[in-house]
Amino acid sequence: MSTLVPAAGWVGSFLGVAASLALAWTGFRAQYKPGALRRNQLVVPVWCMVAGAALSMLALEIALLTDNFAVSYVAETHSRDTSWLFTITTAWSALGGSIVLWALVLAGYTAVVLRGVRTTDDRLGVGALGVMGIVAAFFFGLVTTVANPFRILINPPPNGPGPNPLLQENILVAFHPPMLYLGFVGFTVPFAFAMSALLIRQGGIDWLRRTRRANLVAWSFLTGATFLGAWWAYEVLGWGGYWAWDPVENAALLPWLTGTAFIHSAAVQIKRGMLQAWNFVLVLATFALTILGTFLTRSGVVSSVHSFTESGVGPAFLGLLLVVLVAGFGLFAARGERLASLSRPESLASREGAFLVNNLLLSLFAFVVLTGTVYPIVVEALTGNQVSVGRPFFDRMAVPLGFGLLLAMGVGPILPYRHAAPGVVWQRLRYPLVVASLTAAVLVAAGARSPGLVAVVFLATVIVGSTLRQLAVSMPQRSLPGFLRLVRGQRAYWGGQLAHLGVAGVVVVIAVTGAFGERSTVTLQRGEATEFAGYQVTFEATQEYSAPNREVTEPRISFRDDGTVAHVATPRVSSFRNQEQAVGTPSVWSGPTQDVYVSLADLQPDQVTLNLYRYPLMVWMWVAGAVMAAGGLWALGFGRRRSQGSDGRHAERSDEVVSRA
Amino acid sequence: MKRYRLLVIALGGLVLVLLGLLMFGNLNSNLVYYLTPQEALTKKAEFTEGRRFQLGGFVRANSVVRAPDGLRFVVATGTSPESPSIPVLHRGAPAQLFQSGIGVVLEGSWRGARFVSDTMLIKHDENYAPPQSGGEQR
Repeated sequence: MSTLVPAAGWVGSFLGVAASLALAWTGFRAQYKPGALRRNQLVVPVWCMVAGAALSMLALEIALLTDNFAVSYVAETHSRDTSWLFTITTAWSALGGSIVLWALVLAGYTAVVLRGVRTTDDRLGVGALGVMGIVAAFFFGLVTTVANPFRILINPPPNGPGPNPLLQENILVAFHPPMLYLGFVGFTVPFAFAMSALLIRQGGIDWLRRTRRANLVAWSFLTGATFLGAWWAYEVLGWGGYWAWDPVENAALLPWLTGTAFIHSAAVQIKRGMLQAWNFVLVLATFALTILGTFLTRSGVVSSVHSFTESGVGPAFLGLLLVVLVAGFGLFAARGERLASLSRPESLASREGAFLVNNLLLSLFAFVVLTGTVYPIVVEALTGNQVSVGRPFFDRMAVPLGFGLLLAMGVGPILPYRHAAPGVVWQRLRYPLVVASLTAAVLVAAGARSPGLVAVVFLATVIVGSTLRQLAVSMPQRSLPGFLRLVRGQRAYWGGQLAHLGVAGVVVVIAVTGAFGERSTVTLQRGEATEFAGYQVTFEATQEYSAPNREVTEPRISFRDDGTVAHVATPRVSSFRNQEQAVGTPSVWSGPTQDVYVSLADLQPDQVTLNLYRYPLMVWMWVAGAVMAAGGLWALGFGRRRSQGSDGRHAERSDEVVSRA
Repeated sequence: MKRYRLLVIALGGLVLVLLGLLMFGNLNSNLVYYLTPQEALTKKAEFTEGRRFQLGGFVRANSVVRAPDGLRFVVATGTSPESPSIPVLHRGAPAQLFQSGIGVVLEGSWRGARFVSDTMLIKHDENYAPPQSGGEQR
């Protein structure tokens, strides 16, 4: 009985391999011989892929939930006393399970692409399905070979080590990895369509139109996942920050940067027919960076170049990356020159000019992060020295690029296409500039002495102000129905603007927490008090209690405001029964104006050492991140499936409105 | 059209050269070498006072003393009492659950025979697992 479930997992992944190879075969065959095949010859492999991946995932979850330690993955990552919720999330806590999830998400995206391929005469669509089949074959192949979670153990252990303690602290681990994969894997769709378009030498905007939805879905999920990951790090890791330019974080940021650039450059091509060749490059780069990111995080190459050959996964991903780069850019070099667009921007002072600036800055940003992330690996491979690139490198490069992007974001969306007359620009920017200057002046008067902070607030206000002005002047009538009609009518434009508002919020929070964040390390005896962030902070007592799988020690730290207790912080130390290393968890007290963050540096029976942090407005970072992701989803337009081609008209209309102002 | 293209290429080249200079200048000044206490002692001449590097090792048992100017402790290459070790003064925030015996990575520089650090982290691999004490780190 205990072998039935892993056997089902095996069957599912082999079915997936066979189905994806079949799909690759029929897809390309249909592309070269239009009409030679029936549509069912595509439908059957796709649904077999979905069924296979779903069966594998289900088998893995059942094996985990039934404590089936005869399955290798369960024996390595699960323990009997883990709660059911974290047992479910264990399915993507380690390599084998996360590849199964990847295959499942990829099969889902393939099924969605299939819905858009109405007949086998659709050469672009069937070719894209073929490309997705090849990619899926790789991932299903990993599940059946080097990353196999379903190996059956002859002597099952009675219990396992359980998931990593850090992954049993916070509910966010249930959402971050699936969202991240929905983002990462989603970029396979534009890549597949781009490859297919190159194969049949079809330029134009057909492939962009057909991948717009997948692209926005992927972007929104990747945006959300990146913020969830930062939030998780902030709530769990206890070093008081949320972003460290760590290779794991950069792995998600890199495709996000190029994917963001692609959303913008695709808009330019659809509207003005420019940047055709550049779009192919961006899509290729985005997909390649998702593979690179997975390679970096899953192969162990970051911690040591020599450890990455210990499992077959590192070389496999490196091989896939090489194949993608060589095949992709080879195909692009062979076919690309005929696809280069002939139109040039008439003037840089125009919407497409701002898009160009945005693309240049985002690409440079990605290049900088890529260099900083990969350089240490190259140095170690060549010289044997272990080096790391310090945070100041990224910070120093990100700040000017970030300011440039903010500037483009404030001005770009209000510029007309083709040519912006200075008078029009001035008229549209006058009030936002006045309001922003006043805000900056108030800030300086209030005692802000950091020029960076003032500049960020100024630019963010310009972005918010110009967006609100644009809303106000383009509303048909000043009422809620009028507002709804406007933002529903031009989802692409207003979704983008909503995302820009989110970006403005994020950078303001980054600047404010950087300028006004406070930190203090204090050692307190039991009953002793100290002052921090306007509160009297007292170490009251220590509680100890047992959970099914851990012993928890929890000092109670009270925060008094004028003698009344405003909050009791409980940072804790957990010792898991089958992990030798105790884990600390910080206590975060979030409010609308500030976060107070308490993490334990040292804990003794009657004495604690605390790292105390205060970050103003911190909670708005997560809200602003959610707003960004919501902007991407708004641009999609749920509920109404538009026929192809109406998007273009939509954009046309939104432009008219913007020009009318 | 030709002139336009030339101009764009020239400007693009200029931007790239500037970026390259900025970036690699910045990159080289921010390259932080990672050394074990043993390597740090043998290469002490190379890493003059004030040159930052990362020191990774295990906090020697019972060596932690809280002083007014920070934390004083000893970091050793291995966990045995004979392994090469360096006295450390740490001035930044101590990492969560800092204690004897754990593996740490410190960033700072030599000051005389003492390593003065301002950042401390506990090394995580992709599974966010701290290195198992006893084994060699990284």
